[in-house]
Amino acid sequence: MIRTLEEVFQRALGRLSDQITTYLPPLLVALTMVLVALLLAKGVRWLLVRAVNGARLDRFLKDSGLSSLLGGAGRVRGVPLVAGAAYWLILIAGLLAAVDVFDTKLTSQIVETSVFLLPKLLIAGAILLVGAWLAQYFGRSALVWASNEDLPAPRRLAALVRAVLVFVAVVVAAEVLSFAANVFFAAFVIFAGGVALTVSLALGLGAREAVERHLRGKAERPPEKEERSLWNHL
Amino acid sequence: MGQTPLPTEALNALSAVREADIVIGIPSYNNAATIGHVVRAAHAGLAKYFPQFTGAIINSDGGSKDATRKLVLSSQIQDTHLLMLSTPLKPVHRLSCPYHGIPGKGSAFRLVFQMASLMKAKACAVVDSDLRSITPEWIDLLIRPVLLGGFDFVAPYYHRHKYDGTITNSIVYPLTRALYGRRLRQPIGGDFGVSNAMFSRYLARDDWETDVARYGIDIWMTTIAVAEGFRVCQSFLGAKLHDAKDPGSDLSAMLQQVVGSVFTLMQEYQSTWMAQAGSQDVDLFGFRYDVGLDPIEVNLERMLGAFRRACDDLREIWAIALRPQTLAAVLNLSKAAMSGSGFRLEDDLWVRLIYEFACTYKQKPVERSHLLRSLTPLYLARVASFVIETKHLFAAEVEERIEKLCRCFEELKPYLTDLWLGKGAEDPRPGLQQGPQAIVEVKS
Repeated sequence: MIRTLEEVFQRALGRLSDQITTYLPPLLVALTMVLVALLLAKGVRWLLVRAVNGARLDRFLKDSGLSSLLGGAGRVRGVPLVAGAAYWLILIAGLLAAVDVFDTKLTSQIVETSVFLLPKLLIAGAILLVGAWLAQYFGRSALVWASNEDLPAPRRLAALVRAVLVFVAVVVAAEVLSFAANVFFAAFVIFAGGVALTVSLALGLGAREAVERHLRGKAERPPEKEERSLWNHL
Repeated sequence: MGQTPLPTEALNALSAVREADIVIGIPSYNNAATIGHVVRAAHAGLAKYFPQFTGAIINSDGGSKDATRKLVLSSQIQDTHLLMLSTPLKPVHRLSCPYHGIPGKGSAFRLVFQMASLMKAKACAVVDSDLRSITPEWIDLLIRPVLLGGFDFVAPYYHRHKYDGTITNSIVYPLTRALYGRRLRQPIGGDFGVSNAMFSRYLARDDWETDVARYGIDIWMTTIAVAEGFRVCQSFLGAKLHDAKDPGSDLSAMLQQVVGSVFTLMQEYQSTWMAQAGSQDVDLFGFRYDVGLDPIEVNLERMLGAFRRACDDLREIWAIALRPQTLAAVLNLSKAAMSGSGFRLEDDLWVRLIYEFACTYKQKPVERSHLLRSLTPLYLARVASFVIETKHLFAAEVEERIEKLCRCFEELKPYLTDLWLGKGAEDPRPGLQQGPQAIVEVKS
């Protein structure tokens, strides 16, 4: 009985020893790589923050309106942003390299998928950022135009423009990532169709009188006086 | 030279008329109702006052679909009725050519200046094609200071109704005067006389394809003349009465083009206007007299209504341009706008507002279009305030009121300079129109 237990114990010890001799060196290497990547990422971030002036980038972010879009009440600085991106890229690269050290089917798959997905993620992120910027820009354009043209509910119109553009950006980003692309596309078609139907119904039924009143109000203004008063501004 | 090739019709016309001492340019677009009168006045002016010079009247047309161009070439004057002291020794040629490029007054002027340059003209005058009050004397008053007085730029000086020219009175005149120190009363009057040196300078520039091509042309011409040290003067032309027809434009776009041109030129001539303090009078030629003016109807309720609605809708955009104190003061006016007759947008608030818009225009190029278009309801509020304030005033008193605004623009110029240079200017009137409601919530 004791002998059997001893054998079982030795077998377990042997397996553990095998496991340790198989996986400990790669684990140590992986940990070292992560540590090196972490140090490198921190070093690069530190260097970038201190060595690069970034005034031009800050100006670009401010002038383009990206700084207010990225939050921080428009006080987002370019260099910390780039340094942060470099930090995370190096760290992710280090992690992937560390995972790859184990050389198993699973880890190879993880690394392969990540390498394949990372550029797509970056592109999708850029698409979302551009979409958000365009949404803000055209939302403001719609707001000012609707307000100056005395249209009803300019803020709602601007919000609608923003929502449509953000939604389009999300659909395109999902397409790039091949992530539930059909679902997003179908949702977009339903949304666009819904908006068209709602507007048609609103004009045809509920808001008919309001639209009529609005149009009549416009029509009732004597055009001659409008044009005349326009000239008189200069 | 920022040249574009001349249209074939212009080249053909130039081959017929090789040289001219004086060129009168008339931009047009569907002005058949009035252009005949303008051409006759220009022709008579050249024949009567400059008989010893060769003259050319150039109509630069934007593709009129009526008989505008035909009328330019066919309208007749009877020399015997002009009571001329001498018989014209040189001919007056008439040309009508379509201009190419961006449709607008600026593009039309460009063609006129190009042709004047090729004709080696000594002086050139440009007059609007919808004028009803132009007389032959206008040509004399716009050309003589250039030909005989050595001036490079002659700006018009008109008598106008107190509610006429409100962009001029509330923004362009006071701002240009405060910036460049010259009191040119009608900087965007539209009728100018310029020397060869002046229009050559205009042609040498490369910004013709901007707002300059449209309504920005007048302030662009004036600012370059003043800021670059050309000799400028004014000529009294009497009343300005014109046909009220301006298809396809709206106030917002007009304001954007005019004010945008002023702000753009502020960047180019930064060193000039920063070195300038105060302002001086400019020579005024012509015999001044009082004239009767067409009444102008204004719709106060519509202007104040536009402002009230914008206070709700556009505060997000205004918050980009205005400092928190200024924005709070503007939004506090929203309630006052309900009362109508009690509404006031005070001078110093208006000046701060314009200066802050100018600085943000420089700092945020992407937002320029939004900023300038969002200025429209603020401008309407200022006009409404001006109308209420001057309701019972006579012309001279109104002029004094405009003078007061100009002085305010000049006094607050250090505020503009500090803001422009990003020095974080102190509020020139701390606590102005602010109360417990001064904290503004900006909805996005």
